[in-house]
Amino acid sequence: MIRTEEMLLNVGPQHPSTHGVFRLVIKIDGEMIIDAKPVIGYLHRGTEKIAENLQYTQIIPYTDRLDYLAAMTNNYVLCHAVETMMELDIPERAEYLRIITMELGRIASHLVWWGTYLLDLGATSPFLYAFREREMIINLLNEISGGRLTFNYMRVGGVKWDAPDGWIEKVKAFIPYMREQLAGYGDLVTGNEIFLNRVKGIGQYTKEEAMDYSLSGANLRCTGLAWDLRKSEPYSIYDRFSFEICTADTGDAWGRYQVRIQEIEQSLRILEQAVEQFPETGEVMGKVPKVIKPPKGEAFVRIESPRGEIGCYIASEGKKEPYRLKFRRPSFYNLQILPKLLVGQNMANLIAILGAIDIVLGEVDG
Amino acid sequence: MIEGLLTSEATWLHFFIYFALTVLLLFIVLGFVTYAILAERKVMGFMQLRHGPNQVGGRWGLLQTVADVLKLLIKEDAIPRAADKPLFILAPLIAFTPAFMVLAIIPFTDRFQFADIGVGLLYYIAVSGITTVGVVTAGWASNNKYALMGAMRAAAQMISYEIPLVMSVIGVILLTGSMNLNDIVLAQENGWYILWQPIAFIVFFIAAVAELNRVPFDLAEAESELVAGYFVEYTGFRWAFFMLAEYVYMFAMSALITVVFLGGWLPLPYLGFIPGAVWFALKFMVVIFLLIWFRVTFPRIRADQLMEFGWKVLLPVAIANIFLTALLKEWINLF
Amino acid sequence: MFGLAKGLKYTLKNMTRKKLTYDYPNEPLPLPDRFRGIQKFYPEKCIVCNQCANICPTDCITLTGKKHPDSSKRGKIIDTYDINFEICILCDLCTEVCPTEAIIMTNQFELAEYSRDELFKDLVWLDENDTQLRKENKA
Ligand code: SF4
Ligand code: SF4
Repeated sequence: MIRTEEMLLNVGPQHPSTHGVFRLVIKIDGEMIIDAKPVIGYLHRGTEKIAENLQYTQIIPYTDRLDYLAAMTNNYVLCHAVETMMELDIPERAEYLRIITMELGRIASHLVWWGTYLLDLGATSPFLYAFREREMIINLLNEISGGRLTFNYMRVGGVKWDAPDGWIEKVKAFIPYMREQLAGYGDLVTGNEIFLNRVKGIGQYTKEEAMDYSLSGANLRCTGLAWDLRKSEPYSIYDRFSFEICTADTGDAWGRYQVRIQEIEQSLRILEQAVEQFPETGEVMGKVPKVIKPPKGEAFVRIESPRGEIGCYIASEGKKEPYRLKFRRPSFYNLQILPKLLVGQNMANLIAILGAIDIVLGEVDG
Repeated sequence: MIEGLLTSEATWLHFFIYFALTVLLLFIVLGFVTYAILAERKVMGFMQLRHGPNQVGGRWGLLQTVADVLKLLIKEDAIPRAADKPLFILAPLIAFTPAFMVLAIIPFTDRFQFADIGVGLLYYIAVSGITTVGVVTAGWASNNKYALMGAMRAAAQMISYEIPLVMSVIGVILLTGSMNLNDIVLAQENGWYILWQPIAFIVFFIAAVAELNRVPFDLAEAESELVAGYFVEYTGFRWAFFMLAEYVYMFAMSALITVVFLGGWLPLPYLGFIPGAVWFALKFMVVIFLLIWFRVTFPRIRADQLMEFGWKVLLPVAIANIFLTALLKEWINLF
Repeated sequence: MFGLAKGLKYTLKNMTRKKLTYDYPNEPLPLPDRFRGIQKFYPEKCIVCNQCANICPTDCITLTGKKHPDSSKRGKIIDTYDINFEICILCDLCTEVCPTEAIIMTNQFELAEYSRDELFKDLVWLDENDTQLRKENKA
């Protein structure tokens, strides 16, 4: 009789594939996972509590640091919440700039995901190809906002800067280039049999399970549910653009992969229309009172970030600082399904499943 | 020449000549390892739109590996307290010695070969299997869970892929009628075995990549899953030994593929004036390039799929190839 | 097998493409004018209005003013002005609120030091930090 033993293995907080300081305590039998417990909080900075002592403008740089791969959407959700409370009008040009920067950010975020996911699966090159394109986007955003990662670009009532000369043309030129590269990605990865074998049928769940776990973003759409706030509950000026909600019906890592790749395409479509319709002149800052004091009350807004539904709840007492600020951080919610998906899988699938959820630890831990 | 030396009288002079030649080979191999690592990094860099090493040793980074090795040598030699110390120290040696032992039988040209033994091919496969023991030892002795898993994976993988590796060359052996590597090369005068035995070549190549633990079969050291696999606890020169073993195997395996399937030192028709050594080097470099190219392009296969692929695809194909070859041979003999 | 071959072709094609990396320490990184780097401070422009210290989300600016030496003039002039770059997040808010543009951003971002104390920059240092200044400071 051979005596076998279960092994307790700490994956992370320092592990190449946990995408930050995420710890996963797994019980394994050989390579088979029989129990998994995520431990989070290593990157907790108490953003929501800090925000209670800050004026609204001062909170914006903190939102940059939540989902640091798509800071524009975070900027927007806070501004959007305050603007909703104060019923401000946003100038046309500012709305377009917001949409363009957010969609650029979405592409950049998906590119990072694509590259790192393939890196998790053992392919080194896609990462560098993805970062080539991401670098271009980052340069564009750097030019308009002055930051490469933490943009701090949006303000309550508009945006900080107008587009510099020739910037819109650069974005215009970027779109066909990105399309071409996307086709190359297809050649390199999407048809690759080894890759397909690694992702097909991995981490599968149904539509009902996804809804029960309150998943959002690509994690939800991969089950076939067409729910994208940009279309389902249009905010800003998203109702002016024609684009599709990307879905897949497999509900596995392969579905999530397809959804994200298609989303890059759809974002390019939105960008195309946005730079086409971009108003020639106009203000980029609306009429905002000098001191931002939302009226007493509360508001909750939600928008579609690259990772899912990001929400912002503000309870105001009519002061300069919020009484309570809460972010619904999509990565945090999406992560909850992980233990369920991991049971019965092996080590290699662990990485494939965790990677496909696409978490950003800054957002999980807040 | 070496044949003459081996059968000649056992004098000190002959011993020293033989010894000098061996040292020459050692330096060739070490030189190869140095520049194979550089070449790998450069080619990978180029394919990934980077420059690769370009700081130490001029624009081409010619001294980069030397600098790396120096760094490894002067690094602190850390042995985990809970490790099994004797085994921990022994493991790199077990892994690395066979890598050099297999080099003895490779015929680089028609004259530069150290041991012309009858069962050359078998010797190679048998000796290279010992490395697995070193890998498992390393994984066990480190007393690290990741290392243990890496070692188990390595053992499973090497056992599974050694079989199709042997099976695929049986076709070649059947056609040659010998396991001697010299004979195998000479039998390719009228057509390399890659033409006569394409299936065997593909199976052999895939199995060889798996034996070498290289992408897409690098499960044993799978960085993104097992951090570094069986050598996760090793540092400094002990780690360098594993690395050295890995690259010497890459050298040996590429040389073996060149010999068995690409006609060794034999020239292409009408180009016989170029010396055999050059031909060998050229073919050899093509194989190395292929290995690097694979590494740049492919993701990693999953452990269970790897097993399935080895036993359910490669092995049957290799066996079918044996039958096919036997039939072919009979058919040729008929006429 | 076909998918694998396509991938191989793609990587081979990239081998001869133009390299995209920067030769960073040897060549400075090209940065746009709006880049938010370490601040430059003009003591003579500052009117000690304290707006920058108030808006700073991380409270890393400490400043004190003193009476104008020329007693015929009203107002204050700056006495000390420190930014603690251990906690400054280069968010650009201080330069945004400053009414006289006494503090503006530069294009420099290299802030590595051997000791934390050296990250505490005072008025003199910030005044002397006058290369690669941002040209267009207000939108
Ligand atoms: S850049 Fe931001 S954090 Fe730094 S001093 Fe100015 S306001 Fe404070
Ligand atoms: S905001 Fe400008 S003028 Fe006012 S104290 Fe700060 S630096 Fe001086």
